[in-house]
This record gives sequence, C-alpha cells and structure tokens, in this order.
Amino acid sequence: MSPLALVMLAPLSAAALILCVRRASAALALLGVGIALVASLWLLANAFEGSYRTLILPGLPGMPLLLLSNPLSTLLSVMVSIVGTFVLVYAVGYMQKDPEKPRFFAIMLFFIAAMQTLVLAGDWILLLAAWELIGFSSYLLIGFWYRRSGVGVAALRAFLYTRTADLGLYIAVFILIAATGSSEIAATWPTGSHAALVAALFLLVAAMGKSAQIPLHDWLMRAMAGPTPVSALLHSATLVAAGAILLIRISPLLPPDALFAIGVVGGATTVVTGLIALAEHDLKRLLAASTSSQYGLMLVAVGAGVPLAALFLLLAHAAIKGALFLGAGVFQHSRQSTRLQDVKGAGRDHPLVFAGFALAALALAGIPPLSGFFAKDAVIASALSSNHVVVLGSLALAGTVLTGAYMARALRILWRGERHQRQVAGLTWMGAGLAGLAVLAAGLSLAFPSIETLLGNRLAESAAAQVAGLSAAVTGLLLGWFVGGQRLLGPLAPWARRSFAIAGGMDAWVARPAMGLAQACERLEHALFLGVLATGRFALATGRAARISDERGIDGMIFALVRGTLSMGKRARTLQSGLVHRELAVTMAGVALILAMLILAVVLY
Amino acid sequence: MLPIVSMTLFLPLLGALLVMASRNASARVVHGIGIATSALTLAGALWIWLRGVQPGAFAQVEQVDWMPTIGAAYRVGVDGISLPLVLLTAVLFLLTFIFSAKVRDRPHAYVVLMLMLETASIGTFTSLDALLFYVFFEVSLVSMYFMIAGWGYEDRQRAALMFFIYTLLGSLPLLLAILGLYLGSDPHTFDMRVWIAHPPLTGLAAMLALVAMLFTFAVKTPMFPFHTWLPVAHVQAPAAGSVILAGVMLKFGTYGLLRFALEMTPVAFRDAAVVILVFGVFSALYGAFAALAQTDLKRLIAYTSVNHMGYVIVGVAVAALATSPAVRAIALDGAVLQMVSHGLVTGALFFLVGMLQDRAHTREMDRFGGLLKYVPLLGWSFVLAAFASLGLPGLAHFPAEFQIFLATLRVEPLALIVILGIVVTAGLYLRAIGKVFSGAPREQWATMPDLNLREVLVLAPLLALIVAVGVAPSWVLDTVHRTTAALRF
Repeated sequence: MSPLALVMLAPLSAAALILCVRRASAALALLGVGIALVASLWLLANAFEGSYRTLILPGLPGMPLLLLSNPLSTLLSVMVSIVGTFVLVYAVGYMQKDPEKPRFFAIMLFFIAAMQTLVLAGDWILLLAAWELIGFSSYLLIGFWYRRSGVGVAALRAFLYTRTADLGLYIAVFILIAATGSSEIAATWPTGSHAALVAALFLLVAAMGKSAQIPLHDWLMRAMAGPTPVSALLHSATLVAAGAILLIRISPLLPPDALFAIGVVGGATTVVTGLIALAEHDLKRLLAASTSSQYGLMLVAVGAGVPLAALFLLLAHAAIKGALFLGAGVFQHSRQSTRLQDVKGAGRDHPLVFAGFALAALALAGIPPLSGFFAKDAVIASALSSNHVVVLGSLALAGTVLTGAYMARALRILWRGERHQRQVAGLTWMGAGLAGLAVLAAGLSLAFPSIETLLGNRLAESAAAQVAGLSAAVTGLLLGWFVGGQRLLGPLAPWARRSFAIAGGMDAWVARPAMGLAQACERLEHALFLGVLATGRFALATGRAARISDERGIDGMIFALVRGTLSMGKRARTLQSGLVHRELAVTMAGVALILAMLILAVVLY
Repeated sequence: MLPIVSMTLFLPLLGALLVMASRNASARVVHGIGIATSALTLAGALWIWLRGVQPGAFAQVEQVDWMPTIGAAYRVGVDGISLPLVLLTAVLFLLTFIFSAKVRDRPHAYVVLMLMLETASIGTFTSLDALLFYVFFEVSLVSMYFMIAGWGYEDRQRAALMFFIYTLLGSLPLLLAILGLYLGSDPHTFDMRVWIAHPPLTGLAAMLALVAMLFTFAVKTPMFPFHTWLPVAHVQAPAAGSVILAGVMLKFGTYGLLRFALEMTPVAFRDAAVVILVFGVFSALYGAFAALAQTDLKRLIAYTSVNHMGYVIVGVAVAALATSPAVRAIALDGAVLQMVSHGLVTGALFFLVGMLQDRAHTREMDRFGGLLKYVPLLGWSFVLAAFASLGLPGLAHFPAEFQIFLATLRVEPLALIVILGIVVTAGLYLRAIGKVFSGAPREQWATMPDLNLREVLVLAPLLALIVAVGVAPSWVLDTVHRTTAALRF
C-alpha cells in the first residue's frame, strides 16, 4: 500500500476498530497513530532523497482527487504525526478514568486522519473536504463532555464561526477552478488578474476563521470546554494550524496587495490577542489567546514574503503549545480547575511538570538557545526586511514583547502560591507525552538547517533582528514578571477581558440579525398559511352556495362543474373516499380546457 | 430480452393485488408481502442499474401500442437522470415497508396504498409517454392523500384540505401544457423522446406551456411561495408517509422541471432562466431561515427540504443559462445528485424523527435534552444525518452542492449568495442537536429505549449510502454524467 494512503488509513481504520470492539481503545489508538508516524517519516526520508509520490483518486467528473508528497507536505505530515503521537500518549493518562474513552480516541484518530489529508491534499476539493472535516471533528471533541452546561454552546460556536469563514474557501476555490479549469492546487493560479486578488482575499478570510485571527478570534477561547489533549492538538498542529498552513503553501503565488493584507491582519491579531492574554483569568484561555497571537506572527511573516520563517514558527509553536497545554492539563487535574486564582502555586506541586512548562514558555517568548528564539528571530527579520517595515516590523516586535509578558505572568502565578499535595492519576503517561514535546520545543531548531536544505531555500541572517527580538522578549518577560498584567493594561483591562468585542461582538452583528430574519420568515410563513387556508374556505363556501342555488332548480353545464368541485371539497373535509368524483371533476375541467386550447390553436393558426 | 423496466414497474402493483386477494391474512403476512414485493422491486431496479444507460438517448426502452390513433403508447425507459431516482425510490420504499411493519391499524389498506404509490412513483420516473407520465403523476397524489388522511396525526383535517387545494390547482396546468405540446408536435404524438429531440412549441406558445409547467412543478418541488402545503402535510403525515413524500415525491417536481420544462421548451426556459434562478435562490435561503425559526423538529426538517430543493432549482436554472456544455454538465450533475442525496438524507432524518416521536409522543425540541445519554444509537445517527444535511464533506450533499455552486459561480456569480444557506443550515442543525441530544439529560426520558433491530435495519443502509455517495460520488455520477454530458439543447 502506498505510504500516502497509509498515513490516513491507519488512524482511520484504528478509529473504526475502536468503535467496533469498544475495548483496548488506548492501545489501538497508539498503534494507529504509530503506523501513521512511520509512514510519514518514510515519506519524509523519500523526500530527502528527492523522490515524491502522487496518488490519484476518483472524485467529481473531470476533477479527480489528488494526494501529493512534496517537501512541504511531508514535513507537515511528520509534524502532525509527531504531535499527534505525543498528545495521544498523554491522553492515555489523562482519560484514564473517563468511561467514554472509545469515543474520545476514535474522534481523535479521525481528527488526525483529516489533518493528514489536509496537508497532503494536492487538489482544492480534497483540501476543502479535509478543511471542513477537521472543523467537524473539533466540534465533536470540544463538545465531548456534552452533558456539562456550556459545552454544547462552545462547540456550536466553534463550528459556526469557522464554517462561516469557510465560505471564503468555498468561493476562492470556485473562482480558482473557474479561472483555470483545473482543481489542482499547483496548477491553478490566475496570474495578474482581478480574480487572483479576489480569490486571495477570500482565502485569507477562510484562514482567519480557522487560525482565529481578529475579528474571528472569539471562538477559540471558548473552545476550552473540551478535554485538554484536544486543546493541545487543535492549537498546535491541527485545526488552528490549518489557516496558516494554507497561506504558507500558496503564498508564493499571491499578489503583493494580498500579502500586505495578510501581514496587517496577522500583525493586528498578534497585538490584540496578546493584550487579551494579559487580561485573562483562566490558564487555558490565556494559552488560547496566545495561540491566536502566535498565528498572527506567522501571518506577518507570510505577509512580509518569507513563508519559510512562518513555517519555522509553525513547527516550533506546534511543539511548544502542545507542551504548554499538556502541562496545563496536569495542573488542571491537580487543582480541578484552570482558573488562575485556583492554580496559584500549582507549579510547586509538580516541579518536573513545571520545568517542562517553563521551558516551553521561555521557548515561546523567544529565549536562546530554545527553538522559539530562532523561529521568532526569522519572523522579525522578515518583517524588518519587508517593504512595509514600519507597519509589520513594529507590530511583530510589539507581539514579541507581549508574548514575553503574558508567559511571565503565567509562570509567576503558577510558581507563587500555596502548595497543595494531591495525587494525579495517570501522571506517568501524561509526563511522557509532555516530556517528548518539551524536548522538541527546546531542540527543534537543530533541524532547521536540514529543513532549509529540503525546501531548497535559505533565510537571510540578520544581527539586527536577533538583537531586537531578544531585547523585546527579555523586556516582555521582565514586565510580565514584575509589573503584572492588570497594571500593564491600565485602562484597556476591562475591554481586553471582553476580548475587545466591538458593540456586542459577533452575537450582536450576526447571530441576532439572523435569528430576526428567521422570525420574520416564520411570520410571513404564518400569513401565507392563513391566506391559503382562507382561499380553501372560500372555495368550500362557494361550493356550498352553489349547492343551495343548484338545489333551487338552477341547472346547467357550468353548475354541474361547480357541483363536482363542491362534492370534492365536502369529501376532503369529511375525509371520505372521493376518488371517482375527484377524477371526474379533473376530467371535466380538462375537457373544458382542451376545448379552450383547441379554439386558441384555431385562432392562432 | 426481459422487459425488466416494466417488470420492476408493475411488481408493486402485483403485490397490491395479492394483498387485496388475501383479505383474511394477518397483519404479519400482509407486511411480509409488502417487504418481499419491494425487495424484489429493488432487485429489479438494481438489474436496470447494472444494464446501465447510454449517452444521448434513453436506454432499455419498452414500448406497447396503446391508443395509436392519438399517438399515445405505453413507453418506458431510463436515462442517467431518471435511473438514479428509480434506484432511490426502490431503496426508500423497501426501508419504509420495513419501518412500517409495526402498523396495526388497517394494515391491508396501508400496504395496498403504499404499493400503489411505489408503482406510481417508479412510473413517473420511467414514463417516456406524456399521458402515461400524467397518469402516474396523478395516481401518486391520490395515494399520498389517503396516506395522510388515513394514518396521519392529530390535525389532519387542515392538512388534508391544504393538500387537496394544492393538488387540484397543481395538476391542471401540466395537463394543459402536455396538450399544448401534443398539438404542436407534427405528427401528433405523446412520445416524450420526440418532444425532447424536436421541441414542438416555439415563441409565445412555448412560453405559455413553460409557465404552466413551472406552476405545477413549483407546487410539487416545492418552491416559494407555493410551499405552504409542505410543512403542514409533513407534520401531519405518518413518518413513513413523510419519508416517501420528501424522499421521492418532491423529486417529481424537480425531475419534471428538468425533463419537461428544460428539455421540451429549452428556448423559453433559457429566456426565463434568470427569473427561475432568482426564485430558486430565494426559495433556498427562505427555506433555511424559516427552518431556523422552528421549534418542532419535523417542521424544521420539512423546511430544510425547501432549502435543499431550492439548490436543485438553482442548478437547473444555471444549466439553462450556461453557454459551455462542460459547465452545463456540472450544474446538471449537481442537480441530479442533489435529488438523490436529499432523498437519502431527508429520508433518514424523517425516519429518526418518527422513531423519536414513537417514543416521546412529542416533537417539540425544548422538551428534550441530553438524549445522547439514553439513546446513543439514535442520537449519533441523527448527528450523522444532520451533518450530511448541512453539507459536510464526505457525506451525500457535499459533492452535489459543490457542483451546483461551482457552476453557479461560473454562470451567474451574484447568485452565489445562495451559499449562505449552508451556514444557516449548519446553525439550525447544531441548535437542534444542542437542544435535543446534548446538554443535561432529563430524568423524564431516562427509560427511553434505544433503536431496536427493525429500526437499525431501516437506518443502517441509509446511513451507509449517505457515506458512500459522499466519499465516492463517482458511482452515481458516472451514470448521471453519461447523460448530462451528451445533452443538446
């Protein structure tokens, strides 16, 4: 079997098996994702040797589905496999006591398979399908504990936000297929035309929805209702990553205006969601805001025309954010809460876990020699070298300062406080998953040179960017540790706590008008119904009147017709068999109309 | 060669006669006859499917003289547009008979009516003679009328009246149009193949015939503002009736739109296509928003039918407007596949609501909550069918809607606003799932039994087909495409 198919089919068949046998779900899940990991590593090894694969599947007429392995897609596939494996290892411990483990692991595997399809897709239809399916599986995962209050709403919100933005992808795909006549991703890009810019902007909308960029950032923070391994997976390598992956993949084809728009959206997001993270009261929500902020930085790099820098940050962030969430999950189990006031000092209960968490936090802030430093340095260098250095450069640096500040704030809260001693079940498995990702978060940058070789592309070195980035990171960390979030925000704090919602946010601007429109339709519907009913009653009354006049002795051709109608109406009302009469009436009317038609035909000819 | 189309067509009628003959048979036996007959009919439909269709003409045509002096004959046959609908009809009727095996109220009459309805439905799709078509079209209405009247729910008085008014108004214009086409053809014939190959009417006459046909088919499809019978009829019809009504009979409207309106008055249709497109777009969006406002689960699904059938109208109108044959084929592929998908998905949803109503005796969404805990199989089946209905990739509606929207953008980009419908349907289904199946479980429903074997047998094939059409639509589309790619008009 082609390793391309195996990458998807292994998790998928493991999921099906789990649902059928409903036991040993954890072992089966690890087996499935393990096979996928081997297969994607095999693809990567092939890619290093310069051999690529294509798999063509039957799709729509004239538009087959394609799976491609190329340097970028195999790299991303390996990323998904590795993060997926560590998160599932962790989940073995985390979900130990949950009675619905089979469902959990099955959906997680489905999720991973869908994400693999997304990164390996070679045509727009398969990409769109995978894009929507990861939205669906995250809906199921966020709503995993569907009996708890608020969970259903969070899942609904996540799916609706992203699906609304997905319309952008639909429209962009239609434009691209229409303009080029092919659904292949590599082949399709109308150069220099109006369609190119329009399609690019629609793609940006889709990416903004998935990667939680402003103003579509709100759903991600509410998506914390799901189990922690879910958050770890969907923030690092899957759902949220899809938007950035899409843009990284197509950015070489985009017109300059579209790139600038991407950069501005990313820059604005990194600052705004960074401020939100400073104001958060909940550890997981803080991490969620930070996710939006980091994807904003990636978009800045894409906008600056250096997608490789965005890719480095994507890879580093996948490991880092995975580790941070896995650490947060341990604190959550230990304190039964993720509210910042409840997890005060939780780091002291589990010093090893805290060490892993802190390592990842410093990596995210961009402290050398951790992987985040190199990635962030590349992003800042790209912003400083772009044509829009004032806008992109300043936003990227501000984002870096904020990253340091909110991570230092989280570390300080976790470290300063009372110790509580409480046993956490399944800590071994959880620790193993966390350790794996923390090591990656620290040392991933060692692989960057080989990735540059693989992609045949090198980043320019920039001492200025290193100095600026490092000083921004250190400034942020110091501010966050010593000054604290509330004082830093000052008058912005209350607004930041409402996620910078403008006049009620999406609910007021979209949801309520939609419901209003629905109610209006319902009222019109009622009016139409009454209207038809009145017509029916009128017809019956006419029939009744006709019967009375008929009984008084007025007869003739026309009234015979009415009598037919009347008797049918009566029978419909009393629900008795009126078949013969009814058909007779139809025939009568038909005969009359045939006559009319014949006369008309004679007149016309 | 065996006249397999005719055999398939009249098998259910034979079964009906058998039931009528065995007056003293028990309900079990009667239902057994129903299931066996419809299973044989499905086998026949599969046989027709295996024989396949040919590009550019009707396949497996069977013909017997009937009234040679006026050019009417018994003519049946299939092409890539009708064949998937025949198969869909056979599948849905078999599952409906399995589902209805619990009916103990006048089982003889019930099975006879359903079998007659099956013959009428298959006949509507396979007729190649306009008179024959009209006969089947009418007979189906009569059967459905008695289904609602005889086995419906609490408020059947008004539903019957509503259905009655619409059927009376709806059928006559079609008869007029058929007569017009007949008079226009030279020599006079009711052969639909001749009418398609050489459209008999031109100019004003063609436009008048088109308007008459549009009226009939708009009522049947249904299209705004002629849809008001649909929610009433659905809410009052028994679950099996709803499945057939939505899954099979609504397709008469869109099938007629394609077969009669588009193929027999193509020039007039092209002239009017923008108007039809506007109605289709409005109907689709209106159906979605009206569904969003519902609190009754069955009404909600009924309104999503208005939405989904609106996409079919959009697809047909776009096909008429398209100048390139490739785009026209995409639009028609999408429209035909959408009919099949809607039959499968809405069929499953109406079955599920029927099962829920059997247990809870209510359809008000607010009275439920957290049902996934008590009836996981029913709940997850509903989730799957609901996501299919909102157009999730990998499930039946996605390939169909994708093609319709793609063709729409290429022909009339402004009409792509109809795509907003897929967000609204997502919202309304998620809301319904949230209210009925997730959330805190209510004690009241703690004893609700999950699906039994009979119900699993009904749902499993439908859900499997929904996935099969979604993941690999080519097994249906290859047949459809063979015909649509060769259409000339």
